[in-house]
Amino acid sequence: MHEIKNEKVINYSMCFIYACLVIFFIAHLPVVFISVLAVICAWNFYLTYNNKPKPNSIFANILAGAALVLMLFSVGMSDTVILFVAMLMLSSLFKLLQAKTKKHYHVITTLTFFSLSSVYLFNQSILTTLTVSGLYILNFAVLGLLESKHNLKIASKQSGKLLLLALPLAIFLLLFLPKMPAFWQLPGPKLAKTGLSEQVDPFDIAKLSNSDELVFRATFNNSAPSAPYYWRAIVHDEFNGNAWLTSDFLKYNNLKSNSKNDFDEQFIASYSVIAEPASQKWLYGLSYSRSDSQNVETNTLGLLRKKNYQAKSLQYDVTSSRFTSTPLTDFENKRYTYLTHKKNVKAASLAKNLKQNTQTDRQFYNQLLQYFVDNKFTYTLTPTPMSGDNTIDQFLFDNKRGFCGHYASAAAYIFRSAGIPARLASGYLGGELNLDNSTLSVRQYDAHAWVEVYIHNEGWVIFDATAVVAPERLNGSLSQNEALNTEFKSNLDFGLVSLSNSPGINWLRLELENLDYQWSSWVLGFDKQKQNDFLKSLFGSRNIWLVPLIVLLTSGICFLAYFVYLNLPKRATKLAPMVKEFYEIQKWAQKHNIKTPDHLTPSQQLQVYMEQSPQSAQSISAFSQLFNQVRYGKKSFTNERKTQAKDLIKLIKTSK
Amino acid sequence: MQSTVTSIIEDLSSVIFGKKEQIKLALTCLFSQGHLLIEDLPGMGKTTLSHALSAVLGLTYQRVQFTSDLLPADIIGTNVFNSSEHSFTFHKGPIFSQVVLADEINRAGPKTQSALLEAMEEQQVTVDGKKYSLPDPFFVIATQNPLYQSGTYPLPESQLDRFLMRISLGFPPKEAEKRLILDMQKRDYSQLPQRINQQELAQIQAQISDLTLSSPVVDYIIELVNYTRKSNAFAASLSPRASMALAKAAKAWAYIDGRDFVMPEDVQAIFASVCQHRLGLHNESGDEQVNSILKAVMVPV
Repeated sequence: MHEIKNEKVINYSMCFIYACLVIFFIAHLPVVFISVLAVICAWNFYLTYNNKPKPNSIFANILAGAALVLMLFSVGMSDTVILFVAMLMLSSLFKLLQAKTKKHYHVITTLTFFSLSSVYLFNQSILTTLTVSGLYILNFAVLGLLESKHNLKIASKQSGKLLLLALPLAIFLLLFLPKMPAFWQLPGPKLAKTGLSEQVDPFDIAKLSNSDELVFRATFNNSAPSAPYYWRAIVHDEFNGNAWLTSDFLKYNNLKSNSKNDFDEQFIASYSVIAEPASQKWLYGLSYSRSDSQNVETNTLGLLRKKNYQAKSLQYDVTSSRFTSTPLTDFENKRYTYLTHKKNVKAASLAKNLKQNTQTDRQFYNQLLQYFVDNKFTYTLTPTPMSGDNTIDQFLFDNKRGFCGHYASAAAYIFRSAGIPARLASGYLGGELNLDNSTLSVRQYDAHAWVEVYIHNEGWVIFDATAVVAPERLNGSLSQNEALNTEFKSNLDFGLVSLSNSPGINWLRLELENLDYQWSSWVLGFDKQKQNDFLKSLFGSRNIWLVPLIVLLTSGICFLAYFVYLNLPKRATKLAPMVKEFYEIQKWAQKHNIKTPDHLTPSQQLQVYMEQSPQSAQSISAFSQLFNQVRYGKKSFTNERKTQAKDLIKLIKTSK
Repeated sequence: MQSTVTSIIEDLSSVIFGKKEQIKLALTCLFSQGHLLIEDLPGMGKTTLSHALSAVLGLTYQRVQFTSDLLPADIIGTNVFNSSEHSFTFHKGPIFSQVVLADEINRAGPKTQSALLEAMEEQQVTVDGKKYSLPDPFFVIATQNPLYQSGTYPLPESQLDRFLMRISLGFPPKEAEKRLILDMQKRDYSQLPQRINQQELAQIQAQISDLTLSSPVVDYIIELVNYTRKSNAFAASLSPRASMALAKAAKAWAYIDGRDFVMPEDVQAIFASVCQHRLGLHNESGDEQVNSILKAVMVPV
């Protein structure tokens, strides 16, 4: 039973759409489950290509049940958003595998709109938007194909045109529609980002920095401060023997910053940041940061946090200043020198030695840096994994090669052993300046960890052993670092960054980068504040609240009018003479409950009216004559006849 | 001219009682240069009607009784050898007349029927390769016995199509029949006065074809015709020739009604007689079915 004309093309298109979706979701769904989806997609393609019948429903349903179980096991119930996406994909693909009738395909295309939209939960970049728009057009085309005999090309053109038509409306709504707070929110998927975590345990990691995914972009308002840029995200203050953790105390007790120490702040820079969607709360800032933007809160450590979990990109303005040199409290002092596990004996004795040889904390700081230089430590992205409970000793005295985490962890341990307050900070180092030197793009492979040491009279100071081991690392991004380039690239997944050797591709990459930046800052980041500024610049600052109201009202009225127009009974655009007048008489008769059979000619209807309403019989008869002469006798509908008709209608109407 | 038409109808009504409608239809058929098929039982006044028509309009009249052994030559005429001139001369048959009454046309065999119908269509006959024009106006009134009667050759649809109209006189109303019996002696159509001459008839026919036919009426005709094409209820559907016939007849009807434009009512009036035989309907059930079409199709305003 093949009632659909373009079934083959439709199947190919849907396979294509879902193949794209599967490729997109590879990073976000478990491998096992993704391969199941890919197999179903390929299977459907195979069946279509070879003109084979689709599997019967019992078989397909059993298979779907099995896949569902697999999904529950592999995806799990912890992240409901991911689960939702997985279910959507699975059900759509199975429906496609079974689809035979037009109704089935209608269901699938409808589901596909949801599937396509769910891509935005994970990524909102311009490339994604363009791809998804293309797939939208294809899906619309399939929807059109279901109802018509056109080919895909024509249908795509048509649906593309429709989408383009919708574009001005979308822009209008974006610019003028008041930004309202969401009534409800999705929790946001827990994005699998590789960069940071709340626990820094470098010793069991063998591979690192393999993602060139964008984390955030920063645009300096005036001049950029000098490099290096240490973008702080998390502070770890607790050592558990292997890893550095963020203690509950830090997590929960330091919410609001008090603006007490505002006076002696030393301004470094002010800038705005657009953070890419991420499920974690932490945000990024230089040194001691403060932000007055909505949805962002600042804590006493100078760290920024999102106010609520939202998996969408967030733009905020930051002012950064140097750390103050106010002395630590006893409690703080204790916290930042506390070590529970003292298994790294060698490291502790090294600390003791250094301490004995130096008078001040500053000297200790320098000595330790010198130690890393003298003992030929090297920087690598592929360290040897270490285990045991004295991993820091192993690193310091045996391996001597590692990445930032190793150095930071070891250094912080030594500082604490020497009784100097220290904590581990993780975040990102550097970033890549775009072509016009105003915007810094920071990617996952820029993730970094370093130590913050409290030095008396100086306050918190950054101690980064990486700086002496691999000084190039401090300036610019890892991708621009010559020495580590090969190693870095061999680690990186295939992408534009890995091709940045060729100048053409590098230029293209930076251009795309810039485009994407504009997209995030002007479309995704077009928030209430920006809208207000825009409206102010357009209409002046007075009665600014009126604008959205007027816009909303006018657009509402426009839509209402359009729908009313759509529902009006269709009539010929221009009625022939006397026809309108005749309709008027008909309406009059209906009002007076004079009913006539449908098949009567106009004159016969008028005859009936005459019989039913004898008072106006004369006028009706005259009207009938006039109607016949004009309508059938083709007498010209002169003004005289017009007024005559009008008068007659008036007479007829008033006679009862 | 209108008064002439009225007096013609009155004259005819004085001969055929209580059948004004049929008289008007017959006149319509003649005015719109079509041929008329009358289907009726014997003795209903078919001959009287045709005779009276020719008398009032001043036309020559011939009657041919169709029988099963009638040959084409019997109607058309034949070449006869003239022994004195040693050549063949053509002897015109009864068809060379302005009004021909073909009585009981379905009694004759198909060959003879075809000969008549061909002549009707071409308005000329061909004998031994020579063409002979038929007189103008040329008007054939064929009568037909109802089909169930024995010894009949029903006319095929393609030939039925040649007749613009098919009417049925039917039994007269009681009053009319009573008058008929009482007036038996006086009824003589040969006494009817001639109302118009041939020139005037041609003039009327020209006027009719110039009558105003407005687009809503044409729309209505198209709606009606399309309805029979979409519906499954009919043996045959209406051809474009049928729609043209409808327009032609409606014009003539409007003229007889004293108007110079056509109204949907005119189409309705002639619809049954123009379409019944083309739709393959019989007289008895036909009226009802044709009325159902008129009821089902909305009249465009």
